[in-house]
Amino acid sequence: MVLTPAQRILRALVAWAVVMLFAFPIYYWITVSIKLGRDIFAIPPKIFSFETSAKSYEEVFGISLGFEKGIAVLPGGGDFYMAPRLMDSIIIAVFSTAVAVLVATLAAYALSRMRFRGQHHFVFWILSTRMMPPVAVAIPMFFIYKDFGLLDTYTGIVLVHALMNMPLAVLLLKSFFDDIPKEIDEAALIDGASRFLIFRKLVLPMALGGIAATAVLCFIFSWTEFLFALTLTQTSLKTVPVVSSTFVTSTGTAWGNMAALGTAAMLPAFVFILLVQKNLVRGLTLGSVKQ
Amino acid sequence: MASVEYVNVGKSFGAVKVMEDISFTISDQKFVVLLGPSGCGKTTLLRMTAGLETIADGEIHIGGKRMNNVHPRDRDIAMVFQNYALYPTLKVFDNIAFSLQVRRQSKDEVKKQVEWAAELLNLTPYLARYPKELSGGQRQRVAMGRALVRHPQVFLFDEPLSNLDAKLRGQMRYEIRRLHDRLQTTTIYVTHDQIEAMTMADEIVVMRDGEIEQIGTPEEIYDRPANCFVADFIGSPSINFLKGEIQGTAGQQTFHAGGMVLPLPAQTKAEPGQKVTCGIRPVDIAVGPDGPVKAEVVLVESTGAESHLLLTIDGQEIRAVAQGRLRARPGDICGLSIDPATLHLFDAGSEQRIN
Ligand SMILES: Nc1ncnc2c1ncn2[C@@H]1O[C@H](COP(=O)(O)OP(=O)(O)O)[C@@H](O)[C@H]1O
Ligand SMILES: [Mg+2]
Repeated sequence: MVLTPAQRILRALVAWAVVMLFAFPIYYWITVSIKLGRDIFAIPPKIFSFETSAKSYEEVFGISLGFEKGIAVLPGGGDFYMAPRLMDSIIIAVFSTAVAVLVATLAAYALSRMRFRGQHHFVFWILSTRMMPPVAVAIPMFFIYKDFGLLDTYTGIVLVHALMNMPLAVLLLKSFFDDIPKEIDEAALIDGASRFLIFRKLVLPMALGGIAATAVLCFIFSWTEFLFALTLTQTSLKTVPVVSSTFVTSTGTAWGNMAALGTAAMLPAFVFILLVQKNLVRGLTLGSVKQ
Repeated sequence: MASVEYVNVGKSFGAVKVMEDISFTISDQKFVVLLGPSGCGKTTLLRMTAGLETIADGEIHIGGKRMNNVHPRDRDIAMVFQNYALYPTLKVFDNIAFSLQVRRQSKDEVKKQVEWAAELLNLTPYLARYPKELSGGQRQRVAMGRALVRHPQVFLFDEPLSNLDAKLRGQMRYEIRRLHDRLQTTTIYVTHDQIEAMTMADEIVVMRDGEIEQIGTPEEIYDRPANCFVADFIGSPSINFLKGEIQGTAGQQTFHAGGMVLPLPAQTKAEPGQKVTCGIRPVDIAVGPDGPVKAEVVLVESTGAESHLLLTIDGQEIRAVAQGRLRARPGDICGLSIDPATLHLFDAGSEQRIN
């Protein structure tokens, strides 16, 4: 399609407008984290020019960045020392993603390639587990976890996040496996390869793009999950969303600290996505089959 | 090398019956083409032979052994898929070597076999490439190489040339056939292209809707099609059908369609008054200024070497092919002569051949 100059300019403008729409809230959130408290709600809003300060970060992470140590007592009481909390979130997101992707990949491959009785119902049943609102099981889960000693443990939260991600991960990965021609499996079967060898050596490398995409979704879910991270933990671990909520108190909301933690929390997710992005954009079948 | 035998083979997918009671035998070292329009069950039959679909009814024997419950890897067959199904993450060498490596052959033996196959298929310069870096024809040859190194008892091809352009298809036809002449491995080749069937096959099995319509050598199928379907499917441009009836007594019967009368060969044995369909191949019609059957020219198309004519006789359209260039124009009247021996007569009801 050949565009006229006017159309080209219009297209660029629209593209930029959309990018702005998504980027601006992030930009604004970051500015809040480095603003002085009194500038955060200034009218008119100070979007581009304001005094900067690392105070919020210093308070949240309990480190000195070379500036004057923050004015003491903030809502919630005392210095927050959040670095270990960020670590909690990283551990839980990484392990729950690993568990979900590992199990879901195997399940999805089997669902995509093997024929068994009730297969259709099985796929629907997997999906149906996502239809129940999580809050409906929050309280029963609490008691189950208490009895099993999983309350307030990494294992417990990793498991619950992995389980919540599983249905979507299975269905998503199944669609990626469905896109890989089954003739490749069949050719290898005739060639004498076992199911597992076919999976490991031929299908898995082709599905890396889909697996990466699924991993990103699982990671982001776990990174932002609030309900179970709150109800199934007490003191020994706290994920970022849970900590974030403690900035909202009866005496006020620590916007600067919340923004500082939020900004810092963007980084691990960003790094994770950067790491898998090479696989995200890789073509799925790499030309094994003539289109 | 082995023969392949189908005994009352049937298959349904759910409630849909794809084929029923298929029985025929492919003898050792033969190149047999399964020919039929798309959806007639060719691929299903081939996949049952390979073990990729269960054999619901009947039995398939390869080399005299019943294959119904034998795993695909133990059937000693090799299959080339319509979409090639190359392993995209492996280089050409490893694609071809895969089956040997899986069977734990020694490195030297694998290398020897792959190089032999690559040499045979002119793939030697491409062994270090990935499938996506090859042209369609080269991918097709890799798929064949993968089958060759196995030295199987039977080759199964599922429309291997349908993704290639016309020129390459002609060349690969010849190469596949030459390969067969050299290796003498029993081959079952599925296609919907009658040219491929006619040029490559020792024997053609014509299928329609899961049933076998005719089995024979290409000459038999072309010269004596068993029914209207086979007559129509084989030959290009396709055969003319004229509806009419038989008149006269045995020995000097004639075919009447509208005002047109065609003499029939002396040995024709049809009921006088029988409604029939008469098939005349376009190439069997000689077009000249003074043949006995007068026809009006509607359209002349020249392919360079020959001329394709569309004519009407009493409102019935008929196609003819004449050698060289014809100086006919639309509207001209010309004369057709048809050798009675080349006529194909089919019963109008059953569509089965009667002469
Ligand atoms: N897995 C399947 N499930 C249901 N129907 C199928 C399946 N495979 C083939 N069919 C049906 O069986 C018939 C024969 O298919 P196929 O053997 O692929 O024909 P061909 O190869 O001659 O084109 C078609 O009508 C097709 O729709
Ligand atoms: Mg087919």
